[in-house]
Amino acid sequence: MDVGQYLEIFIDESSEHIQTLSDCIMTLEQEPDNKDTINEIFRAAHSLKGMAGTMGFKRMQHLTHDMENVFQEVRSDKIKVDSSMIDLLFKCLDAIDKYVENIKESSDEGTEDNELIIKELNDFIAKANGEVVESTSAAAEEKIGESQESSSSDDEKYSSIELTDGEKKSIDAAISDGKKIYGFTVYIQKECLLKAARAFLVFRAVEDFSEILVYRPSSQDIEDEKFELNFSFLVAATEDMAKIKAAAENVSEVEKVACGEVTTFRIEGEEPAEAVAEPAKVENAPTEIKNEQAAPAPKAVENKTAAPAKKTGAGKPATSRTVRVDIEKLDLLMNQVSELIIAKNSLVSISSSDGQDNSQNLHDQIEYLERITTNLHESVMKVRMVPIESVTQKYPRMIRDLARTLNKKMDLVITGEDTELDRTVVDQIGDPLQHLLRNSADHGLESAELRAERGKPETGTIFLNAYQEGNNVVIKVGDDGNGIDTEAVKRKAIERGIVTAEQADSMSQKEIVNFLFMPSFSMAKQITDISGRGVGLDVVKSGIEQLGGDVEVATELGKGTIFTVRLPLTLAIIQALMVEIRDEKYAIALGSISNIEDISVNDIKYVQAKEVIHLRGSVIPIIRLDKMLDIEPKEEEPDHLTVVIVQKGDAQAGLVVDNLIGQQEIVIKSLGKYINGNKLISGATILGDGEVALILDVNTLM
Amino acid sequence: MADIIDTTEKETKQFIVVRIGGEKFGIDIGYVDNIIRLQKITRVPKAQVWFKGIINLRGEIVPVMSARIKMGLEDDVFTNASRIIILKLEEKGELGLIVDEVCEVVTLVTDEIETPNVDTGTPGKDLFINGVGKNGDELISLFELSAIIDEKDNN
Repeated sequence: MDVGQYLEIFIDESSEHIQTLSDCIMTLEQEPDNKDTINEIFRAAHSLKGMAGTMGFKRMQHLTHDMENVFQEVRSDKIKVDSSMIDLLFKCLDAIDKYVENIKESSDEGTEDNELIIKELNDFIAKANGEVVESTSAAAEEKIGESQESSSSDDEKYSSIELTDGEKKSIDAAISDGKKIYGFTVYIQKECLLKAARAFLVFRAVEDFSEILVYRPSSQDIEDEKFELNFSFLVAATEDMAKIKAAAENVSEVEKVACGEVTTFRIEGEEPAEAVAEPAKVENAPTEIKNEQAAPAPKAVENKTAAPAKKTGAGKPATSRTVRVDIEKLDLLMNQVSELIIAKNSLVSISSSDGQDNSQNLHDQIEYLERITTNLHESVMKVRMVPIESVTQKYPRMIRDLARTLNKKMDLVITGEDTELDRTVVDQIGDPLQHLLRNSADHGLESAELRAERGKPETGTIFLNAYQEGNNVVIKVGDDGNGIDTEAVKRKAIERGIVTAEQADSMSQKEIVNFLFMPSFSMAKQITDISGRGVGLDVVKSGIEQLGGDVEVATELGKGTIFTVRLPLTLAIIQALMVEIRDEKYAIALGSISNIEDISVNDIKYVQAKEVIHLRGSVIPIIRLDKMLDIEPKEEEPDHLTVVIVQKGDAQAGLVVDNLIGQQEIVIKSLGKYINGNKLISGATILGDGEVALILDVNTLM
Repeated sequence: MADIIDTTEKETKQFIVVRIGGEKFGIDIGYVDNIIRLQKITRVPKAQVWFKGIINLRGEIVPVMSARIKMGLEDDVFTNASRIIILKLEEKGELGLIVDEVCEVVTLVTDEIETPNVDTGTPGKDLFINGVGKNGDELISLFELSAIIDEKDNN
């Protein structure tokens, strides 16, 4: 069945269901008796299973089915919810998520069976039903052994190859050379059109490592495509079997490869021998399970699931990125487009008529058109906007896991997750935020004992608040933990030779904290899994700056730390103030302008040899844009200066310009990849007369 | 006519011949997207010295560089003959190159392009040339475009 057209829907919906499951399981942990949650979980798991089944993703279906069984038991009160069960369920969810990831990338669920998880799930149910469960690992081994035996009869057709005398001789010769004989059975996907070509590719890949001795069907038949969906061959090799298997699996449209070392052979015409092959590593390796006896499952799952992801990583994702749009937003858009057409038509009619009041009429129409385009822009932007929730909803789970690994008690409080941001920003803000949260969990919060000593509640609080502020979205990430020890940072900076001791003494607390954003400046005494590799905050900062935003820190030792991330609402079109400096035109984003002042030269004062103005109680430094931008200075300074006051967070600065042109909606264009080293200019825009104006980046000016 | 028939039989390449300073250079036509007249160039402060600025090419922002400055010659003198060659380079996008004059388009037989002798001429300029072609009696230096867009300063 061709399910390609449903694939995107499937991926969208399963991601949604997985998220619901994750949320509900979190709730379940808090309130184990909440029947509504259990029912909700049950529904989501059931739909997931149904969808996977319809799409033919058998492994995923199997896993969700077993998970559903557990929920069934919970629902009928046979199992009590405990944290080990929650852990197992999360493991399960991760595995399902992996399937979906695989499907997203290659339209295929991959070959991971996750038998260990399934086994654990079944144990759970068995336990609930009062059955005695043997030592899990032994049972697991046994079960997998069984499954292999059964699969060997199905999958490993190579083990039943009957050899001719000539072939037997060449195998004997190879064995006496010290080579090992491996049998392979390759399964080709049903949809494959050129089976012979695939087979040829498999052979060529395998021949890099080994010599093929026997083909079944014969090589001629394979070439003529006289085979069903599988073919087998025996090879002689000194190399590791896994390597050869990987080479064969790399050929596209190969569904799976079964292989094993062959030690006994059937000769044509003879009675079949009893033990035919020693199956090794079909899908799930028994050896791996033995290793994991002490701590079953988690490692094995991680290790194995990583492999298919890597394999498919090179290929293009099978689906495109999409945004779900509220139908109301689309209706609004449609209305505005019809208005646009009406406006166009009236312009056409004005241009063709030659009445007296033409210019007045034209003027009206252009104003009308302007209003429509502004609205249209707003609507299109709204269509691109998605709530930040799509990123933040993953965090509760992450914090829960962190709490367990770090052995600290912590709560995550998220507010304002319905704040909307441009899709591209939301896509890229996830990692930096995650980093900040991890930072808070690992470095920020103290251990429970220390917290008790300090008279703080035992459970630490990490918060994430998002809200809109003018043309920006502000996201605050913080904790009520230890705060940043600025003295320690200072010492470290001096130790690293970044500043001298004297310089450090005259620095403000803020400046010192900013050292943390420098590349490879890690404060962690020990490198942990979570953070402390020194690639931390500088990555956060550069990630956020790439999106046109900035990040600030406020910290108080012993009380906590707050990171404030400021992001532009949209990327492509902004409202800007156009200014003129000599004959050059520049745009300043309206969002960062607080007010515009006309200042007499006499009002300029000097603080530490820098020009400042005193304005309504605050001292604002003056930036001479002509100097900053290498423009020829004026011969004669005028008595009055036009100063555009801009702000970034709490800081303000006054930019001196020659002339104000006016407010305008501008389309931001990149300067391209050739011109670099230019932090002052964030882009360019094309003005109405075709001229190019540069957009000043206020953040770097200050 | 005999010439044309002759050349079509061998492997040939077309070059746009431009004048920069006193010398003529050939640019592989495959990289040339467009040739435009000089228009207003918006200066970009703090950019590399050889970038004159950016222009608006049909709604797209295209950076423009001075071949003269890049090669260590004196600054451009804009005349009526000055042109901007828009080069299309795969990985980095479009780039304008200011030349003093566009002379002609020539077809050179690939076999007759000689690799330049390292010892000739000034060492700085040689870096930009990957061959010398003969067009009749005239010698044309062929541009190595990757050296033009390279970040190195040859002043």
